[in-house]
Amino acid sequence: MDTSLALNTETTVETIQFIVISIGGEQYGIDIKYVDNIIRMTKITRVPDVQHYFEGVINLRGEVVPVMSLRKKADLPVIDLTDESRIVIIKLENNAPVGIIVDSVKEVVTLPTNSIESANKNSKKTQVTFLSGIGKFDNRLISLLDLNAVLAEDAV
Amino acid sequence: MDVNQYLEIFLDETAEHLQNLSDQLMILENEPENEDTINEIFRAAHSLKGMAGTMGYKRMQNLTHDMENVFTEIRAGNMKVTSRLIDVLFQTLDALEEYKDTIQATSDEGTNDNAAIIKELQTILDEGLGKAPAKEDAPAEKSQGEEKSEEGGDKKWEEIKLNEEQINAVREADEKGLNVFGCTVTIQDSCVLKAARAFLVFKAIEDLGEVIESLPSSQDIEDEKFDFDFCMIVTSGEDFDKVEEAVLSVSEIEKVTGEKLDINSFLNRDSEGGKEEEKKAESKEDKEEDEKSIEETKPAVAAASPAPAAGANQQQAKKPGAGKPVVNRTVRVDIEKLDVLMNLVSELIIAKNSIVSVASGDNTNNSALNEQIGYLENVTTNLHESIMKVRMVPIETVVNRFPKMVRDLSKKLNKKMNLYMSGEDTELDRTVVDELGDPLMHLLRNSADHGLETAEIRLQRGKPEAGSIFLDAYQEGNNVHIEVRDDGNGIDVEAVRQKAIERGTVTPEQAALLSDKEVIDMLFQPSFSTAKVVTDVSGRGVGLDVVKSKIEALGGDVTVKTKLGEGTTFSVRLPLTLAIIQALMVVVSDEKYAIALGSIDTIESVNKSDVKYVEAKEVITLRENVIPIIRLRPVLGIEEEEGSDTREDMIVVVVKKGDQLAGLVVDDLIGQQEVVIKSLGKYINCSSRVISGATILGDGEVALILDANILI
Repeated sequence: MDTSLALNTETTVETIQFIVISIGGEQYGIDIKYVDNIIRMTKITRVPDVQHYFEGVINLRGEVVPVMSLRKKADLPVIDLTDESRIVIIKLENNAPVGIIVDSVKEVVTLPTNSIESANKNSKKTQVTFLSGIGKFDNRLISLLDLNAVLAEDAV
Repeated sequence: MDVNQYLEIFLDETAEHLQNLSDQLMILENEPENEDTINEIFRAAHSLKGMAGTMGYKRMQNLTHDMENVFTEIRAGNMKVTSRLIDVLFQTLDALEEYKDTIQATSDEGTNDNAAIIKELQTILDEGLGKAPAKEDAPAEKSQGEEKSEEGGDKKWEEIKLNEEQINAVREADEKGLNVFGCTVTIQDSCVLKAARAFLVFKAIEDLGEVIESLPSSQDIEDEKFDFDFCMIVTSGEDFDKVEEAVLSVSEIEKVTGEKLDINSFLNRDSEGGKEEEKKAESKEDKEEDEKSIEETKPAVAAASPAPAAGANQQQAKKPGAGKPVVNRTVRVDIEKLDVLMNLVSELIIAKNSIVSVASGDNTNNSALNEQIGYLENVTTNLHESIMKVRMVPIETVVNRFPKMVRDLSKKLNKKMNLYMSGEDTELDRTVVDELGDPLMHLLRNSADHGLETAEIRLQRGKPEAGSIFLDAYQEGNNVHIEVRDDGNGIDVEAVRQKAIERGTVTPEQAALLSDKEVIDMLFQPSFSTAKVVTDVSGRGVGLDVVKSKIEALGGDVTVKTKLGEGTTFSVRLPLTLAIIQALMVVVSDEKYAIALGSIDTIESVNKSDVKYVEAKEVITLRENVIPIIRLRPVLGIEEEEGSDTREDMIVVVVKKGDQLAGLVVDDLIGQQEVVIKSLGKYINCSSRVISGATILGDGEVALILDANILI
């Protein structure tokens, strides 16, 4: 029912596409316009004396791209990488690309803007600082990542 | 017409003329009688005036006009070059430079009239001529113009055929009391954009009157279908002088000749043919006589100048070909486009490296493949070199303003000094050269102010009265060295030590322990100046630290050598290129690192038992030098496994920074390789700065580049 509602309003309401990724069983959405690429795990070269959440740098088609672990950034327990693990290459406007390691990449969803709730209503959630809002899709809730916050330097 | 499209040309040419003026004035200061120099200055001033006039920069035009006047008289031998004049001329130059900068920034010349300089020039002019009247120069120039028109004798405009309509137009103009001129304009043969200049000439004349017809036709002129001169019939309410002045205000115009035409004889010549020609010639002579008599009535000064001026005119006609290269065949390329090309070459090199690593991994001896790789290697290396060359510019562009600066400093500080430069043609990457000006200027000022003693002390010490500053540049391997050397006082190490204690930078106890070298290095710390007096020139303590940070930002370093009483040498070392370097690949644990070959001194195998301890730090003795060793594993955050390394010998890469050496302990060596430097980007922040970048190896793996300078 929700789907049909979404479809009906699609013609009039603006929509945003999100890439759904999962970390620790929870699903997060990343605005597709910032996603440059999604790649399988590749050899990461460790860089000494950097922020703890940066795993190192990779070679992305001849470019050196830094890669961070979203788990480490969000202070989640670190798990071993699996076949499902991916690096999502993010490119914010006019900035150099940066990779984010996620447990897996699920799908692409299209959300009408009116089914997105701003994050501050759920301010009691733990990782609220990284979220820009919550999207409702089917019967699921998808936390939408605020990439600027994710990529911002840690205060600590 | 929109002159803005010529703004860029104007600025380029102005900069060129100003540099030329500066150079020539330096020569003139030493050889006040040098005629070539005087002529050259006159020409440069004249061209500047013309260009400024065309672009509508009146203040700039006025200033150059006065400068030109002075040189008109000097050329004519009516006055001599004095040191006072040179000073004022240098001021003029500074003022012109200022106009240029303002124009560059705002496309307007600003509002500074520089009246003081103009007045000073006038005074000198008057005094030099031993006369009071200030207005004298204007007629002088005019008569010179007339002289030109007479000696020209090039009456090509007589060949112009007019059609019915144009004849009517001429008659009409005559009836209205307008003057009708025939005139020939000659463009300098060094001119590149003849059509554009011709267009400006037409434009200039149309402000005063009307061009009835030209030969070649205006269409041909537009298509550049003419040699270096063209002629035209002009109607105007103004005198020919005015027209001539307007035309000459266009730059790169060699000369203008012309005269007022007798309408009837001119228009009748077609119908009456040869006879009319004779009449014409007669009437012309009359005219000339008329003009001469007019001239005689003019002041004596005016009469004195034309003859030599005319002679110089001829010289001027010959000069351009000899003085300048005919046309510089250059293409302007946006640096961004070059960067793109550069990146492509980088990728090509990476691709080449991949093939090399694939081929070497494979044990089957494939000689054909290796041959091709060798070929590819040649091509990529050559391509890389030629692209780097495109980006290379001689440091001349930066250092050629220094002679004048040192001269100014000499006056300001009241010390006699000379600057000797060598190796101005040494080339560096454009981005480096652009950044080089400030640090070098600081070093020169530093030498002039702190380094050189006053004349009295110099004489006491048995040194020549005039101090010498040397600026030497040369290339050595992948580096360019620039040395700023003076024969002054040298650095008083004790004074610096005292100063450091005074400032509380170090305690007296610490100070006593510091080596001379360490003390001198303190000079590079922010806000540290030993000059007892703060002067305009230096002593504010913002100098050497700026130099150091700027040079280091360019990937180079600065070192000092000094001997008290004998002088100081600052040596600046800069990498030839920024993007691709030769590096030594080493292994630490299981990680690969690149160390720039430029910073490596030697590679040694050192027995573990040879490691000694000094102040709890590990050192080794190498050819009688005690050098500290740095174990890279802890530096790079790799945990040392106890007893994992059972080898007796350690591999030590000895790196140097200036005179300092340090040994880096690595696990293994891979070999020398050309690496393309890539930035780590702004997100990742290496707090210890030991990693200066990354590079991509042949197998696609990323290796980090170690900055040995940080480790020492």
